[in-house]
Amino acid sequence: MSIERIMEIWAQYHEQIWEAIGQTFYMVGMSTIAAVILGIPLGTLIFVTRPGGMLENRGASVFLNTLVNVIRSFPFLLLVVFMFPLTRLIVGTTIGTTAATIPLAIVAIAGYSRLVEQALVEVPRGVIEAARSMGASRLEIVWKFLYVEARSGLVLGLTTSIVSFISYSTVVGIVGGGGVGDFAIRYGYQRFEMDVTICMIVLMVLLVQIVQVLGSTISRKIDKR
Amino acid sequence: MEIETGGIHGIIGTSGAGKSTLLRLMNLLERPDEGSVLFEERDLMRVSERELREARRSIGMIFQQFNLVHNRTVHGNVAAALELARTPKRDRERRITEVLSFVGLEDKVRQYPAQLSGGQKQRVAIARAMASNPKLLLCDEPTSALDPQTTEDLLNTLLHINRTLGVTIVIVTHEMEVVRQICTRVSVMEMGAVVDTFDLPKRSEERVRPNLSYREQILGLVHKEDAQ
Repeated sequence: MSIERIMEIWAQYHEQIWEAIGQTFYMVGMSTIAAVILGIPLGTLIFVTRPGGMLENRGASVFLNTLVNVIRSFPFLLLVVFMFPLTRLIVGTTIGTTAATIPLAIVAIAGYSRLVEQALVEVPRGVIEAARSMGASRLEIVWKFLYVEARSGLVLGLTTSIVSFISYSTVVGIVGGGGVGDFAIRYGYQRFEMDVTICMIVLMVLLVQIVQVLGSTISRKIDKR
Repeated sequence: MEIETGGIHGIIGTSGAGKSTLLRLMNLLERPDEGSVLFEERDLMRVSERELREARRSIGMIFQQFNLVHNRTVHGNVAAALELARTPKRDRERRITEVLSFVGLEDKVRQYPAQLSGGQKQRVAIARAMASNPKLLLCDEPTSALDPQTTEDLLNTLLHINRTLGVTIVIVTHEMEVVRQICTRVSVMEMGAVVDTFDLPKRSEERVRPNLSYREQILGLVHKEDAQ
């Protein structure tokens, strides 16, 4: 594929491509925010309620683990369809970019909460013990000790999550979600313009690269262990 | 079992004898099924969660593995203890400088634990435990991860804390030498029970043993064997 061809595609589609990129950023961005705001507390709850945890609670532990496992085991496309009632309740419609964001955010929260739990498990028990010996409350243990010690793992987990959100976001073209993946299907695949599809794939690869490099770098910078 | 105020109480025994568990009962890191834990005339078994946390601020603790927060600097580790103790912000900096110079680490303030040696890490842990002015310091095998020379220095630091600040110390160890050097009273544990408790003769000198070089220590041992 020549440079000229790429320029040609750009000249022809740049408006649509910009719109698609905007939609992808919107969906991935919203999912990331949901993952941070709700996934971290959920993952923390799963961690503290586990057997031997600070707030050991068998019922809550089984419930939360099952919930997260069920959401994570759904094939994503089926989850999108299955979530229609909830999506309609929240957004008022089941089609469009915002509507597509709902199932994406749900998967994001469930997926990231698992990685949060894993990052917290990595914190040595002794640190929690030292915190308790200094008279820390449970909330203080979580805020001042667990999150501080697990922070590079939390960032790395979020990076992995964002990469998978980008991948998931390509599927939601099916409900009019738009985005780069949807553009590649509609303008490239369905119009037999293979080179348009390839351009979009390259764009996605670049996007994932940037996210991963950024995430890895930040994670390394804040890891003083 | 009773811990004498102002003393250094050693708990010695083999691995698995229950020494650490006994120590952890003292600040209720481990809660016994029954009985009472009296600290300053209060039964910690009967107080509320909040009161227990308050009492723990008067009971410092250090560990074999130091248990520092590795993502916080030396300064940050001590500051965390003061935050937990609700020390007003304006007093914190002064207190941090104070305890860090007490353990001789005033020049390591901005370093992270990973940049320190084992002995220095344990000093940070001591500074952290001492930050909130505890009356009792619990030490769980504090020297077991350290070499002999560093152990010596650390024991002198503990002795210094006990003598100048009047802090009562309970120290769990499996090293006979540790007990012999700093303890005023010892309990011996076997299979989960205290089988013997006795006093050690008082010593007056500040530094219990001179700082011997490796050469002197090794040769000293050889000579001792020769004499026998």
